[in-house]
Amino acid sequence: MTLLDFARGPAMNVAIAICVAGIVWRLVALLFLPRARDRSTRRPGAPWRVTAAATSILSHMKVAKGLGPVPRFAVWNAYAYHIGLFVIVFFFTQHILVWEGLVGLSWPGLPTGVITVASVITLAALVAALVRRVSSPILRLLSGFDDYFSWLLTTLPVLTGLLAQSHLFLRYDTMLALHILSVAAMLIWFPFGKLFHGVLVWVTRGRTGAFYGRRGVAI
Amino acid sequence: MSEPVMPEAVMPEAVVISLLAELSRLLERLVRTEETAAIDLRSLPITPDDRAALTTALGRGEVRVTVESGGRSELVETGYPGIWWVRHLGAGDRVLTERIEIAPVPEALAAAPADIAAAADRLAAHLAALAERESSNA
Amino acid sequence: MRDRETIGEGLARRGLSRRALLRYSAWLASLMALPPTASRVMAETLADKPRQPVIWLSFQECTGCTESLTRSFSPTLEDLIFDLISLDYHETLMAASGAPAEAAMEASREANKGKYVLVVDGSVATGLEGAYSTNAGKTNLATLAELAADAAAVLGVGTCAAFGGLPMADPNPTGAKSVGDIVKDKPVVNIPGCPPIPEAIAGTIAYFVTFGRLPDLDHLNRPMAFFGDSIHDRCYRRTFYDQGKFAKSFDDEGARKGWCLYELGCKGPVTWNACATLKWNAATSFPIQSGHGCLGCSEPGFWDRGGFYQPLSAAVMGNPALIGGAAVAAGAAFGAASAVQARKKRAAAQAAAKQAEEGRQG
Repeated sequence: MTLLDFARGPAMNVAIAICVAGIVWRLVALLFLPRARDRSTRRPGAPWRVTAAATSILSHMKVAKGLGPVPRFAVWNAYAYHIGLFVIVFFFTQHILVWEGLVGLSWPGLPTGVITVASVITLAALVAALVRRVSSPILRLLSGFDDYFSWLLTTLPVLTGLLAQSHLFLRYDTMLALHILSVAAMLIWFPFGKLFHGVLVWVTRGRTGAFYGRRGVAI
Repeated sequence: MSEPVMPEAVMPEAVVISLLAELSRLLERLVRTEETAAIDLRSLPITPDDRAALTTALGRGEVRVTVESGGRSELVETGYPGIWWVRHLGAGDRVLTERIEIAPVPEALAAAPADIAAAADRLAAHLAALAERESSNA
Repeated sequence: MRDRETIGEGLARRGLSRRALLRYSAWLASLMALPPTASRVMAETLADKPRQPVIWLSFQECTGCTESLTRSFSPTLEDLIFDLISLDYHETLMAASGAPAEAAMEASREANKGKYVLVVDGSVATGLEGAYSTNAGKTNLATLAELAADAAAVLGVGTCAAFGGLPMADPNPTGAKSVGDIVKDKPVVNIPGCPPIPEAIAGTIAYFVTFGRLPDLDHLNRPMAFFGDSIHDRCYRRTFYDQGKFAKSFDDEGARKGWCLYELGCKGPVTWNACATLKWNAATSFPIQSGHGCLGCSEPGFWDRGGFYQPLSAAVMGNPALIGGAAVAAGAAFGAASAVQARKKRAAAQAAAKQAEEGRQG
């Protein structure tokens, strides 16, 4: 069995299984935690829970006012790599084929040139994010293993994917195997570290919005 | 198509110009040192258009030879004596290999010394056999 | 001991002059990326050499490799290889059969000890100590060991001999192995492909005859001259791949426009062979040009790499629904257990707090 066979086969099988199991585990454990009933009085004119949750999620997507130039850049930079990752993962034809194999659905992709541009921008933005984290004394103080490891496991797939697609560095089949293995590593880590904010952020922002919405505060 | 075709003074692609420069260098070396050379066209990354441009740039000379030796080969003198366009063909006349040779005559044209020696023996034997038959008839 | 006829003499007997050798070595130099001016020396070397004895053993094979090599219908440069070698044993091509054929093989082996080239096509059966593949009761496993011991070099022709091929596909009932797995003390060259491109077979043998050594090999012992580039690197449809224009199904609009066949399972990017440049059947076509993706037939284990029509980027999943379902079930179970434990903890904490409260009051 070559490295590529291992990456496409057992490695991805195990990684996807762990990722799915981990997501379900953490979500079920979180959502079924014992909760005290909210005994506060619902304010008159308070929106429905769902509306308040959705409003909170949307409002947190806006760039906060009063930020200095560097933090404002950091927010836009984060949008760059989040949107970039979304475009690469869901609109690169070769990746759509992966989804088709897993869930049976497929959709049209974007031209490869567009994806290449998006990948380069995403990689640059990820590097910029790391530079910011390391150069800001406050962020450096706050950052731990989880932050750096999560960054690494997000950046490696983008880097190896670009190298593989451009046929640079190593032989193509080795580069492709490394790319798939880096994705497998990210999938395994996803439910257990800071990357899980991808699932949690909808829950936490929604819950907070519903909590305060009931009390008549729009956040 | 018996008249020689003069090399055209048309502006060809850069890769064709660099090939012509190489051929010029090799041709001058042939003049100075009598050292022959060859350029394999099959392995060069040139497009069919470049190849056509090179053919046009070199023109055609006075000699056109067909060799049939376990298959066919075409040897054509270009408009520059000493530069030959050589094509070796395989099954169904597909081009197996194509090269430009810089030499008084292309490799595959001259008779090999071993073949000439064997031919001398064969002809002598043939004459001897003819003589014997004549003497037995007489 | 009869003086061996040289290659030049053999050709003269057929009515061909040294020119045939000059043409052949010009072609060989071009195929193997040697300097073109080497052709003269190569032709002269070949002319004075005796024909190279070759013993060709066929094991678990389909004879496709021999078919590939013998595709000429008129005397051409392509079958000049048979003037360079003395094919002393080949079960399909030789006139003799049975005991006389085996005797011919033994005679060649004795007369050419240490000098003959052993060509093997087909994989070697090792199950039941080799009983799955025998010749007149003798296992081919034993024959290979004997013949390899006295050979100058061993050529594994075709993916079966080179890497195990189809007989080795899951569940490998005959215990098929590659020639390289069995022969360890002689230089082994692999010329894979299902079948290999004829020039790859003939060119490698001709190179050995001319220079007395094997050409440069890659990490899988394949001649770099023929297996140095991937199909993808030389594919004429590459621009479509780079643009992201893929055919979605056979004979759809994209397929008719000649778009890339990646989505239809083409393994070109991970397959090393000369199909895209040398092509097949006198350079007529190759699979991609005919509208079908590359199967990767010159790579080890290509039969068991997921499906031929499964794209390279897709994961080779056992059963996605089953794995996903099991994962969800496992996750839910752990999550529920965690929630239950949390509730128990809270209940215990509440009970303890209640007790403390009652204790204070009491």
